[in-house]
Amino acid sequence: MSRIPLITVLLLLLNITLLGRGKIIRLTYWPSSNPYEIDLAKNIVGEWNRTHPDIQVIMQPLPASQSSEEVLLTAVAARTTPDICSNIWPGVVEEFAEANALVALDKFKDFQDVVLSRMSSDILTNFISRDGHYYQMPWKGNPIMMEYNVRLFREAGITEPPRTYSEFMEDAKKLTKDTDGDGSVDQWIGVINVNPVWWHRFFDFYAFYIAASGGRTLFKNGEVDFDNEYAVGVFRFLQEGFKKGYFPRGSLQGSQFLLENIAVQFVGPWDIAYLEKYKHEGFEYDFAPLPVPDGTPEPILTYSDPKNIVIFATTKHPEEAWEFVKFLISKESDLKLLKFTSQIPFRKDLETDSTYKEYFEENPKVIKFARQISYTRGSDNVTQLKEVFDVIAQAFEYSVIYGMQEPRESVMNAAETVRRILRR
Amino acid sequence: MKKLGRYETDRVGYVMVLPYIIFFLIFVGYPLIFSFILVFHKWNIISPMKFAGLYNFNFLLHDPLFWKSLRNTLTFLIIHIPLQIIVALVIANILNQKIIARGFFRASFFLPVVISGVVITILWQQFYSFETGLFNTILSRINIAKIPWLIDTKFAMPSIAIMATWKNVGLYIVLFLAGLQAIPSSIYEAADVDGASGVQKFFYITIPMLNPTMIMVLILSTLGGFSLFIEPYVMTGGGPINSTLSCVLYIYKQAFYFNHMGYAATLAFAVAFIIMIVVIIQRKLFETEVYA
Repeated sequence: MSRIPLITVLLLLLNITLLGRGKIIRLTYWPSSNPYEIDLAKNIVGEWNRTHPDIQVIMQPLPASQSSEEVLLTAVAARTTPDICSNIWPGVVEEFAEANALVALDKFKDFQDVVLSRMSSDILTNFISRDGHYYQMPWKGNPIMMEYNVRLFREAGITEPPRTYSEFMEDAKKLTKDTDGDGSVDQWIGVINVNPVWWHRFFDFYAFYIAASGGRTLFKNGEVDFDNEYAVGVFRFLQEGFKKGYFPRGSLQGSQFLLENIAVQFVGPWDIAYLEKYKHEGFEYDFAPLPVPDGTPEPILTYSDPKNIVIFATTKHPEEAWEFVKFLISKESDLKLLKFTSQIPFRKDLETDSTYKEYFEENPKVIKFARQISYTRGSDNVTQLKEVFDVIAQAFEYSVIYGMQEPRESVMNAAETVRRILRR
Repeated sequence: MKKLGRYETDRVGYVMVLPYIIFFLIFVGYPLIFSFILVFHKWNIISPMKFAGLYNFNFLLHDPLFWKSLRNTLTFLIIHIPLQIIVALVIANILNQKIIARGFFRASFFLPVVISGVVITILWQQFYSFETGLFNTILSRINIAKIPWLIDTKFAMPSIAIMATWKNVGLYIVLFLAGLQAIPSSIYEAADVDGASGVQKFFYITIPMLNPTMIMVLILSTLGGFSLFIEPYVMTGGGPINSTLSCVLYIYKQAFYFNHMGYAATLAFAVAFIIMIVVIIQRKLFETEVYA
């Protein structure tokens, strides 16, 4: 009788030992939930899991919501964050870091080697936090450039895309017109989103401000730094566009660029995949840097619309998570990022490394973004960044869209309001 | 069958209501108490709360955007409620007559109520589009100047009120129909004997007898009006120049754009208090006793 329980206990112990020896570490990874990036994540995670049987990654697309930031905020509050997330907008990193929700990546011994072998220190410094640590791995950017309809330009007698504000206005005069003769304008130079939601201003005001100022951001050493001629110039330029009717004030549904109702739009490389999928025969488009004030020296910088990778402090396996992060930014994974999403990895050797040669030969439009990525700026590491952009969005609406205030007064008032917010 | 004792009956009763009590405590009681605590704190969801005393109240009193959002919401209510009651009453009266395809029309008017608010809002946003919208295309065809429905501070809130009326009127038609059918026909017969005209019957019988329904519609419309959110959120983002920024949209922005949870809770309590005052005034002004 006594043998049976003894055997049972021995078997149980053996089982536990075997289980312990073969213990698999599991990491959870949240990529963006758009279909192109889900396919990319599936591919990279599949490759990782095949080559790392002891560290298995479970991929779950970011839960659906109005924005990724809302989901992440809720997850941080509820401590249900994944080990790794690759769709982090740098604007929220400071807040998460202050709440001790992120792992400082520079605590890993090889951080500097890994990151500087991939990107320039100039771009890297965009992402340093106020406490001097790096909580995000710069991953990819979507430099905002001017996309233009080649046919519409050609038919209007324009051979080159506009480089300066004055050239843009000259072209706008030719391209904004009533094409069907019903008395209403039905073709414009472009569309600026009139919805006063803060994040829209990253893709017009902020990108134009970086371009005009040669790479300034809104703050310098933590102080407001946009109460200057460059910001006023951007307001004045876009205000003129609205006043003269070159940008419509209403909201137009659908891709007006694809419908050829507008001649230019200010977008990132993500639009290439969309246009290639849906364009009709004979639809010609190309990209150029953003227009700048007359006399601005080259190169023209722009907003990078970065999305980065973080490791959350809730992880029980930071070292393994760091290994996976390095895998996500490897040469091969960066090539996959280009192939699956047309988005640009923060990599300084994109044009020179043979890994990417074939891709760029097959996708010549993307190379303009690859060249531009080295001339970009991100956003400031300010906790109240959303409020700052909300103030700018209000001023933009008041002055640029509806012309109810002089650009200079509007910019100065916005700067003063932002100072008050920072003091609060 | 065994008869249950008093205490046993109580226990069974408590068990029966337990699901609701649990639901209430988790989804109403706890958030309410937590929100009240938040009123006196600064909290951005992910960092520890900081006691702020009456800072949020003081900020509210000096916050021009809050007062602007309140004025906008009242503007919406002033247009929306009378419009809704008049339209619902007229249509309910027509649908109460013996007309052809009455059932079809009753269902048709109710249809927008059950369709998603976001879907309707996106649809109307296209109707209202200045350059390419249906309404302005029709106006252009008949040589009338285009109306800046959503891009002019004077037109934006009335445009939203018209759309909200179209969406909600079906519910109030049903309520008025129920009220109309509850009026005893003998009163109308007596009025006929006395030689009352149709208009006289409407104003001296129908309207007074519908007073309880009217009060209910008034209160429901007021509550619905103060909850105005989807329409400006989707259509205008609160613009142009904050002219469609409603109280709830402002609370949402403070809470979920800027993570000012303490201030958002303060705004929510202030709005709830204002709604209570408005409803009390409405009841005092309009409620009368009905003898049937």
